[in-house]
Amino acid sequence: MQLDTSAPNPVISTNSSELGGSIKTGSGKLFDRKNRLLFYNRAFKIACIASAAFVCLILFSILFFMFRTGVLTFRDVSPMTFFFSSDWSPENESYGAFIFIFGTFALTILTLLISVPLSIVIAVFLAEVAPGWMRNFLRPILDLLVGIPSVVYGFLGLTILIPLLRDITGTNMGDGILAAAIVLTIMVLPTISRISDDAISVVPKKYRDASYALGATRFQTIFKVTIPAARSGIMYGVILGMARAIGETMAVVMVIGNTPQLADALFKPTSVLTSNIVMQIANVPFDSTWNNALYMMGFLLLVISLLMIVLVRLLQRKGAHQ
Amino acid sequence: MKLFKSLSVAAMAIALVASSISSVGAASSLKGKIVINGSSALLPLTLQAANEFKKLNPKVKISASAAGSITGPQSVRKGIADIGAVDWDASTDVPGFKKFDGQVANKVAVIPFAAVANKNVGVSNLTTKQLQDIFSGKVTNWKDVGGSDASIIVVNRAFGSGTRVNFQMKALAGSEFLSKGSNYKEVKSSGDMKTAIETTPNAIGYIDLVYVTSNMKALQINGVAPSEANVINGTYKVWGFGYFMTKGKPEGAVKAFIEYIQSVKFQNGSLKKLKFIPISAIK
Repeated sequence: MQLDTSAPNPVISTNSSELGGSIKTGSGKLFDRKNRLLFYNRAFKIACIASAAFVCLILFSILFFMFRTGVLTFRDVSPMTFFFSSDWSPENESYGAFIFIFGTFALTILTLLISVPLSIVIAVFLAEVAPGWMRNFLRPILDLLVGIPSVVYGFLGLTILIPLLRDITGTNMGDGILAAAIVLTIMVLPTISRISDDAISVVPKKYRDASYALGATRFQTIFKVTIPAARSGIMYGVILGMARAIGETMAVVMVIGNTPQLADALFKPTSVLTSNIVMQIANVPFDSTWNNALYMMGFLLLVISLLMIVLVRLLQRKGAHQ
Repeated sequence: MKLFKSLSVAAMAIALVASSISSVGAASSLKGKIVINGSSALLPLTLQAANEFKKLNPKVKISASAAGSITGPQSVRKGIADIGAVDWDASTDVPGFKKFDGQVANKVAVIPFAAVANKNVGVSNLTTKQLQDIFSGKVTNWKDVGGSDASIIVVNRAFGSGTRVNFQMKALAGSEFLSKGSNYKEVKSSGDMKTAIETTPNAIGYIDLVYVTSNMKALQINGVAPSEANVINGTYKVWGFGYFMTKGKPEGAVKAFIEYIQSVKFQNGSLKKLKFIPISAIK
């Protein structure tokens, strides 16, 4: 305040010295600017560490809680029965979850069989073939598709896809693993193709130039050079899509038929881990083996998706080394 | 949504003020907190009753939520809830569920159920025996029960559903359901059942009577059409009571709330509007 009343000439010099001095001296004694800054820095650091710790705490308490409740299953059911028996009828004390575990993997594999080739073709088209204006038009559309809530996909599957499948194939119901795989394919398609698209786009131009210089055709260049070079990025997309397919619940539960029987045909109502949990969890008695078995299934899902994430990390590291 | 919320809050506040002014002398001194959990089928009824009851007894707080029927008596046993809404009498054994000891079942409404089929099904009447055969998987073709030659698609509610328990007890006389087969599926809720029956040719299922639409066919059972009138005159047997389970005999605010739901005024007013049948109508 005193500075303002001083003569205009020395203002600049006092101002600069004042700036430098303010850090050292400041106004107060105990809580001067230096200490204040130090305090803010420390407090912010602690807040950041606390937030990070909080996230870890959430993850581990979820894991711990699911495991603690789930593992109680094995008081009443042997692990052999739980993992390898295909007789799931909780009302008669049979808790074989093999149908659901098998169903989850069968559904995921079928989904990937349909979606991966399609996605890669889309990605190649976007990155290599499509003219610029079309690329700029299609990429945001794919990004928007990722954001559609799964229940919408499920509802459309139930009201449009299943009657369509029934008409085309002449089956009685249409519910089953194929219907679920088609719905999931539509859901994971944008994820896989956009990530693959990015991976293909960043393949250095010199690779393509070298390939062309050796006399390769465009087709040969794309499938023998570009895609192999973008391999780890594409795998990353596939695994993300796979994780989404494994964990997806709402869309699946609406089209899969929810019957505890082995998915040995494309059009047979069946059930997977997620759909079985959501179908039954509201209706089970709290402290029953049945309830614990559902928690165990949830824990299994959690472990599977954690493994997927670890795999993604490994691939990323491998990709970075190349 | 926010506007609507604040509007409804304002409306409620005005209603509260108005009721407290108009009935200063009669204002109830009842205090307390009532937690209700359980059947989603009974939730609209519970919410309506709670709103009206709170106007009469401003000092009573009521919070109601719903999951599955079985969570009602369970929450009561665990002490989480004061009232457990359930679609069957949970103080007795029913197929699949043991009784809850020490709980008292208070009847609050009559819920009729109907066997329903897709519009394309030619059959309009089934006997109890035929229903048993269809839902246990013994009869798999509509031609065996007087329809055209087509496979029967059985749509069932998941185990634990209150509708399923009632249908099994009242329409199938306790006989078992099939649980496997390529023409069998289970659905999660009454809404899913409605969609499945409406969109799947040759499908048969069952549903609360209030959910029956013109896009499906409500089947006669033993020659009697499912209707409110037939439930009341005693000819249609497929219905159940909705119950409020309490730990021991209800007391205080809980007792007053249950009595309010059972009162003639509520039973013949709001309850009928929500398409339930008053308990007093059943002889």
